[in-house]
Amino acid sequence: MIDDHPMIIEGYKNTLLGENQKEYQIKIDIASNCDDAYDNIVKSSESTPYDMLFVDIKLPPSSDGKITSGEDLAKHAKEMLPKAKVIILTMHREDHRIHNILKNINPAGFLIKSDLTSSELLLAFNNIVKGKAYYSATVNDHFRKMMTNKFSLDEKNLKILYHLSRGVKTKNLPNYVSLSLSAIEKRKNQIKEMFSIAKADDQKLLEEARKRGFI
Amino acid sequence: MKLLFKKTLILFFLILFIGCSDKSKDKIHEEDQLKLNLIESHVEKSKDRSRSKKERKGELIKAYGIVSTLPNSKNKIEGLHAISIVYYSLKDYGKFKYLNLKALDLSKQISDSIKIAKSNGFLGIYYRNKELDSAYKSFKEADKIYLSLDNNLGVDKTEYAYDHGKILLDLAKLSRKVKNYTESEELTVRAIKKFEIAQDETESFLPLSYSNLGTVAKYLGRYDDAVNYHKKSIEYAKNTNKEVRYAIIGNNNIGTVYKSQNRYEDAKKYYNKGLSYKEFLKKRPKRYTLLLDNLAYAKFLSGDNSEKVLDLFYEALRKRDSVNDLVGIATNTLHLAEYYKSVNNDSLAKFFANRAKNTALEVNNNEELLRSYQLLSEISESKVGLDYAKNYIKLNDSLVKEERLFRDKFARIEFETDEMKAENLQISKENQILIIAILGLTALFLLGYIIFRQQQSNKELLFAQTQQEANQEIYRLLLNQQIKLEEGRQLEQHRMSEELHDGVLGRLFGVRLSLDGINQRANDGFTEARNKYIDELKSIEKEIRLISHDLGTEAIPSDVAYIDAVESLISDLCEVNNLHFEFSNDEDIDWEHIDDQKKVNLFRILQESLQNIFKHANAESIKINFDYIEDKINLTILDDGIGFKSNKVKKGIGLKNITSRVSQMSGVVQFLSNNNAGTVVSVSVPV
Repeated sequence: MIDDHPMIIEGYKNTLLGENQKEYQIKIDIASNCDDAYDNIVKSSESTPYDMLFVDIKLPPSSDGKITSGEDLAKHAKEMLPKAKVIILTMHREDHRIHNILKNINPAGFLIKSDLTSSELLLAFNNIVKGKAYYSATVNDHFRKMMTNKFSLDEKNLKILYHLSRGVKTKNLPNYVSLSLSAIEKRKNQIKEMFSIAKADDQKLLEEARKRGFI
Repeated sequence: MKLLFKKTLILFFLILFIGCSDKSKDKIHEEDQLKLNLIESHVEKSKDRSRSKKERKGELIKAYGIVSTLPNSKNKIEGLHAISIVYYSLKDYGKFKYLNLKALDLSKQISDSIKIAKSNGFLGIYYRNKELDSAYKSFKEADKIYLSLDNNLGVDKTEYAYDHGKILLDLAKLSRKVKNYTESEELTVRAIKKFEIAQDETESFLPLSYSNLGTVAKYLGRYDDAVNYHKKSIEYAKNTNKEVRYAIIGNNNIGTVYKSQNRYEDAKKYYNKGLSYKEFLKKRPKRYTLLLDNLAYAKFLSGDNSEKVLDLFYEALRKRDSVNDLVGIATNTLHLAEYYKSVNNDSLAKFFANRAKNTALEVNNNEELLRSYQLLSEISESKVGLDYAKNYIKLNDSLVKEERLFRDKFARIEFETDEMKAENLQISKENQILIIAILGLTALFLLGYIIFRQQQSNKELLFAQTQQEANQEIYRLLLNQQIKLEEGRQLEQHRMSEELHDGVLGRLFGVRLSLDGINQRANDGFTEARNKYIDELKSIEKEIRLISHDLGTEAIPSDVAYIDAVESLISDLCEVNNLHFEFSNDEDIDWEHIDDQKKVNLFRILQESLQNIFKHANAESIKINFDYIEDKINLTILDDGIGFKSNKVKKGIGLKNITSRVSQMSGVVQFLSNNNAGTVVSVSVPV
C-alpha cells in the first residue's frame, strides 16, 4: 500500500482486515513515498512478488527525481511485477486525469477516494482478487461519457479545455500545456469544429465541453 | 461694370499724375537751362576786351549770382570754372583761387573725379608762380586722380587727356624750375602722350611741350636732342595761330643751345632767323630785344668786339628800358658789363654789373644776380671783390639749398600722397577686417545662440521624456505591486487549496474509511447511526474539496490589477477624508490592452480631481464611473460639494494639469459646476 497519509493506510487496513475477511491471508507492506515504494517493489520482484498494489497518485517524488507520481510508480510495477494487480486510489476526479491513468496504466482497479466507502473498497478488493476489474462510479461515468461521444479528445486537447475552464487565458496556456500558442489556437479551433460551434468564443466552448463531459 | 469704371478712373488719375510730374520735371530742367544760358551770356560779355575792367567784373558778379542759385551739380562747377578763368585773365587771382576752392569743395561733395582734378589743376595754376610746393601738391593730386581714371576701364580717356596733359606740363615746368631735369623730361613725355590722344584741344600744347623738352635736354647736356626738340616745337606750331610765336621762340632757343656749345656761328644764324619775323616782332618788343641781345652776345662771345656789337646791345637796352622789361634789362646790362670788362673798361663794366645786380634783385632773378656777383668780384678791387665773391658763394649755396629744399618738398608731397593712398588702402583693409570680424562674431554669436536654444529645447524634450518615463515607471511599479499582491494572495490560496485537498481531505478520508471499516464489523445496534455520521463526514469532504477547488482555480486576471489600484486609491483617500464614495467600472473596458500612458494619465486625473474635491468642494459623497461608450473611455467624477462658477474661476495648476493630460491623450474634458450644485468632471478619451 502506497500512500503518504498514514491515516489512509490505516483506513484501508481497517477495512480489509475486518472480521468478515477471514478467507484471505493478507500480508501488507506499506510505503509513504516513491523511493520506499520502488525499493519494496524491486525487493519483492526478486523474492515473493506482490499480488496486489494499492497506489496513490499524489506522492512525494523519488530522490533522483525519476519517479514523480503514483502513475510512474505503477508503470514500473507493471513491468517488474507483471502478475500483480494494480489498484489506483486517488482524490483526483478530473476527466483528463482519469483518462490518462486509464490509458497509461490500465489498472485492475480505479477508485476515486471521495466516492469510496469501506464496503465499496471491500467489493472492489473481492472482485479484483477474483480477476474482475473494478472501477468507481465516477470512472465508469467517464467511460460512459467517452462512449457516448462519437469522437474522443486526446490528452492535450483535454488539458487545454481543463486549463481554460480554470480561468487560464489562452495566451498563458503554453505555460501549462507543452505546446506553442499557435498550436494551441489551432487545437482550440479543431475542438470548436468538432463540437460544431466553429467561431464561437471561449465561453461557448467551455459550456459545450461541460455539457459533453470533457470537463 | 462698376469695378471697370473704378479701374478706368484710377488709370486716368495715374496718367494725369505722371503727366504732371513730367511737366514739373521739365519745368525745372527748363529753368536750369535758362540760368545756364544767362550765365554763359554774362561770361561771354565779361570776356569782351572792349569793355572796361569794371564792367567785365560786373558781368562776372552777375554770372556768379546766378551760379549760386543752381543746385550742386556738374553744371554749377563748370559755371564756377568758367567764371574763375575770366577772373584769372583779369588778373584777379584772389577771386580765381576762391572760386576754384569752392569748385573743389562742391565737386568733392558730388564726388565728381574729373571736376575735382580740374579744380586742383586750376589751384595749381594759382600757386605755380607763388608757392611752388602748394602748386606741386595741387597738380600732383590732379595727376593722381587722372591716373586712377586711366586704370578705370569704364571712363573715356580722351575726355580728360587734354586737361591731364596740361597738368603734366605744369608739373614738368615746376620740376624744371627746381632743376630736377630728368623728372621734368619724363613728365613732359607723359604730357605729350596725353596731348596726342586728346581730341578737342582748343589750343595745342605740343609746341610748348617740345620746347620744354628742348630746354631740359639742353640742361642735361644733350644738345642734339635739344635742337631736335626745338625744331619739332616749331614744326608742331605750323599752321596754327601761334606759328610765328613758336618759330621765334624755337629759333631763339636753338640759338641758345648752340651758344652753350660755343657754336656761335650757328647760334647767330638761328638768332637772325628769329629776327626775320619783323612784322610780328614790331608789336612784341620783349621778344625782339631778347633776340637782339642774344645775337649781340653771341657775336661778342665769338670774339667780335666791334662797335656794331655794342650798338646792338644798346639798341636792345634802350628798347627794354622803354618798356621797362626788367628781366631783360638785367641780362642786357650783364652782357654789357661783360663786354666792357673784355675791353678793359672796368668802370663801365662795374656800372653795368651793379645795375644788373640791382635789377636782378628787383625781379628776383637769382641766376642773373649770381652772374653779376661773379662779374663784380672779378672786376672790383680785392677787398670789395672778396665781399662780392662771398656774396656769390652765399647766394649760390642758398640757391642750391633752396632747389634742394623744393626737390625734397616735392618728393615729400609725392611720398605723402602715395602714403595717404597706402594708408587709405590700409584703413579700408582694416575696415574690411573689422567688418569681417564683426560679421564673424555675429555669426558665431548667432550660432552659439541657436545651439544654446537647441540644447535648451533638447533638455526640455528630454525632461518631458524622462517625466513620461517616470510616469510610466510609477504606473508599472503601482501595477507590479498590485500584481505581486495578487500573486501572493493567489499563491496562498493555492497553498491552502492543496493543503486542504491533499492533507486535510486525505486524513479525513482515512479517518472516514477506518471508521467505516470498523463500523461494518461492529454489531452493537448503532451501526446505522454511525453510518449517518460517516455519510456526514463524506459530505464534509465533498464541501472541503469544493472549497479547495474554488481556491485553486482562481487565475490572475491581470486587468483587474489596474482597477484594483484605482479602487484602492479612491477608498484610501476617501477614508482619510471621511467621504462616502461609489465606484463603478464598465466590464467592457479591456484595461489590459490600453496603453500604460493612458492608464497613468487617467489615474493622475482621478487623483488630481479627488484632491480638488477634498480641498475645495466641501463634499460629503462622490461618485466615480468608468464607462465604455463608442470606443471611448469616459471617466466621470461627480461630487455634491459647493461647486464653483466655472466661468469665473481662474484655472489653477490642478485644472491645467488635467487639461494638458487629456489633450495629451487627444481626449476631451469638461468641468461643469454651479454654486451649491456640486461639480462634474467628465473626461472622454479614445481607446
